[in-house]
Amino acid sequence: MPAVTDAAIRLLGVRKAYSGHVAVEALSLDIPRGGAFGLLGPNGAGKTTTLRMVMNILRPDQGTIEILGAPSGQETRDRVGYMPEERGLYPRMVLEEQLLFFAALKGVPRAEAARRLPPWLERMGLTSWRHNKLNELSKGMQQKAQFIATVLHDPEVLILDEPLSGLDPVGVNLMRDVFVDLRRQGKTLVLSSHQMETVERLCDSIALINRGRLVLEGTVAEVKSRHGKNTVVLAYEGDGAFLGALPGVLEVSDFGRYVEVRMADGADAQAILKAASERLRVTRFEVVEPSLHDIFVERVTAEAAA
Amino acid sequence: MNRLLPVVRREYLERVRSKLFVISTLLGPLLVIGITLVPGLLMQQQRGKPLRLAILDETGSLRPAAEESLRRRKAAGEGRFEVVPATAGDAASVRQRLSADVIAGRIDGFVVLPADVAQTSRAEYYGKNVSNVMDISMVDQAIEEALVGHRLTAVGLARDKIAAVTRKLDLKTVRLTSSGAREDRGGTFVLAMLLMMMLYSTVAMWGAAIMNGVIEEKTSRVVEVIVSSVPPSSLFWGKLLGVGGAGLTQFLFWALCMAMIGVYSAGMAGSQLPEVSPLLLASFVMYFLLGYFLYGAMYAAVGSAVNTQQEAQSLAFPVTMPLILAVVFFGAVMGSPDSRLSVVLSLIPFLAPLLMFLRITVLTPPAWQIALSVALMLASIALLTWLAARVYRVGILMYGKRPTFPEIVRWAREG
Repeated sequence: MPAVTDAAIRLLGVRKAYSGHVAVEALSLDIPRGGAFGLLGPNGAGKTTTLRMVMNILRPDQGTIEILGAPSGQETRDRVGYMPEERGLYPRMVLEEQLLFFAALKGVPRAEAARRLPPWLERMGLTSWRHNKLNELSKGMQQKAQFIATVLHDPEVLILDEPLSGLDPVGVNLMRDVFVDLRRQGKTLVLSSHQMETVERLCDSIALINRGRLVLEGTVAEVKSRHGKNTVVLAYEGDGAFLGALPGVLEVSDFGRYVEVRMADGADAQAILKAASERLRVTRFEVVEPSLHDIFVERVTAEAAA
Repeated sequence: MNRLLPVVRREYLERVRSKLFVISTLLGPLLVIGITLVPGLLMQQQRGKPLRLAILDETGSLRPAAEESLRRRKAAGEGRFEVVPATAGDAASVRQRLSADVIAGRIDGFVVLPADVAQTSRAEYYGKNVSNVMDISMVDQAIEEALVGHRLTAVGLARDKIAAVTRKLDLKTVRLTSSGAREDRGGTFVLAMLLMMMLYSTVAMWGAAIMNGVIEEKTSRVVEVIVSSVPPSSLFWGKLLGVGGAGLTQFLFWALCMAMIGVYSAGMAGSQLPEVSPLLLASFVMYFLLGYFLYGAMYAAVGSAVNTQQEAQSLAFPVTMPLILAVVFFGAVMGSPDSRLSVVLSLIPFLAPLLMFLRITVLTPPAWQIALSVALMLASIALLTWLAARVYRVGILMYGKRPTFPEIVRWAREG
């Protein structure tokens, strides 16, 4: 386990139960300082509950949580920015006034916050909206405003719950660029998402949770190499129904224009290519890394079977 | 502490900039004056319309005196009678005809003076409307005057002496206070009622403003962002203080207006405006603040426990109840502000903001009673804000079904 100073956030044996069901169980997690960390899992996996406990909005039933090496307190809270899954801004408050208010809650003096605000408004395309009430803004704009509220006090750690949901493709790209910049500045980003692909490319390390329990964690490279290069993408002309029956093939997923063949550990991709080229006209063959999505599905189904 | 200020600032500015604030500050007093005075004015208006009255005199001798007496009152502007000459005929048929006239609306009522009225002092009034108490008592007085005159003539008193003998007493009421004497023709009553209505409506209004603010933060999920930055208690206190500041601003404005009117009217000779003393103004502002914090804390707790304003209605009722109760006791306390009942009621913290203040308006109570009421209120505020803050801390992050009362009690215990 890494030394205390390495962890931006550390969870130890955390458990949280609501009346009737356990949301998070025996969760231990080290989120390193610097870089982007993805907290992944399907809806209802316990991501939001975990982040709320980190922000001290919920109290864990068991276990301890440390942020930047200390239990959550006013001092650590000021160094963290939190964007909740359900956005929360005052609907009838003027945007600029509102953002200065949230910075003030983090201890940033008004004058200082007013100085920092214009570049952010500019970058998010909200400059001309700064004197409007929040409920006059579109959903996407409100989300960008929420992000400014999260980041205006220049926190060391940003905790973003589903940060890309509800944004259009242009908005998603904009936010990605911002995340990359923040990561370059040495900030720690914690992103939660149920869409693994979107976060996969952004994150240095990830944790997958399902039904409140940790399924796997590590750097993206580690996780992938642990699961081997065991998938083949194949496009062909002809009837490929026999592929599933080849030795070493676990599963064939048909995507229409191509199929993904998942192989057992140690199976030889070349043998599959050979068998296929004998009976089909192969137009594409590629050995690929499994996506996080595939890894997740595999682990979850394996767990359910066990 | 430095995290409380942004919340206080936000709450204060948001309230003070709102239309509701501007309207209630500028028009509130006018509205209250309207509510208090308009019914009186309407009654005055009603009085302008003549009340058509017939007299059925079975004695055969009282009628001219009674009619004369009614006419005199009308001339003096006291009554609004118009005597309709009764037609001749036997008593039974005239009575029947008059009844028919009343039903048909040709006249408003008639008085029957039985043959033995001089002995029994019993007469009857018939009318479609018998709830116009003021008019009827005026008729009563007019007939009585005629009857007394009739009796006095019977014992030999000269007719022209009668008026002098039976002249009514004109009781002038003068309110004595430590700062001097001042004639009062009901002004104190109106003022007391006005100020109490203002206290009642502002405490209720600002309490509801807090409650709705809390609900808004909850439904818009702002609260989650705030609680990730500052402890819930900062939000609770910031809100209570910020909204209270807006209320205080409003009250200081009103007190200033009242003081100006007071100074202006004191300079006028024969002013009939009731005295506006510094004690009155100070206690007006002070009892608003005390009432505001007492009720505001409870409203905040209610707001935190519910998800929508509809849900808030039923839970807010027990909070509003004592405030309404205080208005109900208005009459009793006004009538005898020094009675034991009044003293006890005005010391109960939930009623004190209205009732102790009312007592101060009509009659300065002993200083120890004012001090005791303030002390009791401060103690209640300390206890209630502490409890409310605990409920609030749990409530603002609870979503889902509306909690039951026992659940809320548990929050306060475990908070």
